[in-house]
Amino acid sequence: MLEAATFDHSFREFVRWLSTTTVADYMHGRWEWPVAESLHFIGLSMLIGTVGLFDLRLMGLGKKIPIAALHRLIPFGIAGYCINLLTGLCFLTAEGYQYMYNPSFHLKILSMSIAGLNVMVFYTTMFKKIRTLGPGEDAPLAARIIGGVSLTCWLCVILFGRLLTFYRPDAFKWCEWC
Amino acid sequence: MMQIGQWIESTAFSDWIKSSPSLLAFPFFLVLHAWGMGLLAGANAAMDLRILGFAPRVPLSAMVKFYPVMWIGFVINAVSGILLLIGYPTKALTNPVFYLKLGCIAAGMLLMSWLRKNVVAPGNLSRSNGRLLALFSLLVWAGAIVSGRLLAYTCKYLLAGSPC
Repeated sequence: MLEAATFDHSFREFVRWLSTTTVADYMHGRWEWPVAESLHFIGLSMLIGTVGLFDLRLMGLGKKIPIAALHRLIPFGIAGYCINLLTGLCFLTAEGYQYMYNPSFHLKILSMSIAGLNVMVFYTTMFKKIRTLGPGEDAPLAARIIGGVSLTCWLCVILFGRLLTFYRPDAFKWCEWC
Repeated sequence: MMQIGQWIESTAFSDWIKSSPSLLAFPFFLVLHAWGMGLLAGANAAMDLRILGFAPRVPLSAMVKFYPVMWIGFVINAVSGILLLIGYPTKALTNPVFYLKLGCIAAGMLLMSWLRKNVVAPGNLSRSNGRLLALFSLLVWAGAIVSGRLLAYTCKYLLAGSPC
């Protein structure tokens, strides 16, 4: 218990220190936060628009499109992901407490982690097998499942991201770990 | 606008949207609006990128299969948007940025239909203005997203008579 308390103390210190950095200062300006949020939403759309459509193709929509051809749009999804990682880290730095002790944030990170594992499984076990699939060909069942998991995870990331506001620490505490 | 807003705010439905503690009320309408945005703006962006020449081996005419995704996104956002508007009508209707957002969406939807008819469905990239309009489409969807997000920071009134 003592160790947990010590960890919690240093963690709080760390979050407090983050909020004193230049980045945090900058984020508390008049327009920096709204601009970062706007970019976060643009990044979200880039990710869902490219990765989401690719998932749908794996699941059987738009079968006339060869998988490898559609995969050429994925870099735009990765770019969206990077925009969101950067802007997300800015929010986290400036208002750590709002997120670190927010159950909706925990679930968002959990959804992102599952999406990440799913991507690793996809590229290590599946991509080589399906990149040669031509127009009209069905992806194997495992690839369809991976596509479904990916789409579900990203929709959950949006869900819990959008609900963050309603689970700020003081307002609502139902989880024992926050 | 203030009077229209005040009238809508006086209805029981508007009151329910604002004050219901249920996560399925206001919070869920916001979630729906973000989902719809990702589908509508995201799928449009993917199509625009294809028209602009990225992913050139994707058969253009096969992209019509993704139009239902865009339409589902549009319907989700029209419905959730109207619900959010009924909750806080004065906030949106008295803010010029709201009309900028509606203008961007209208332009985006017109471009989406025009591109389908003249470029995507016929698989025809020879229309010289196809690429220009795809670029314009990317810009208006980004404009719709940014102006939508900025609504929270540019409002004059939260409710009729009470400033933001």
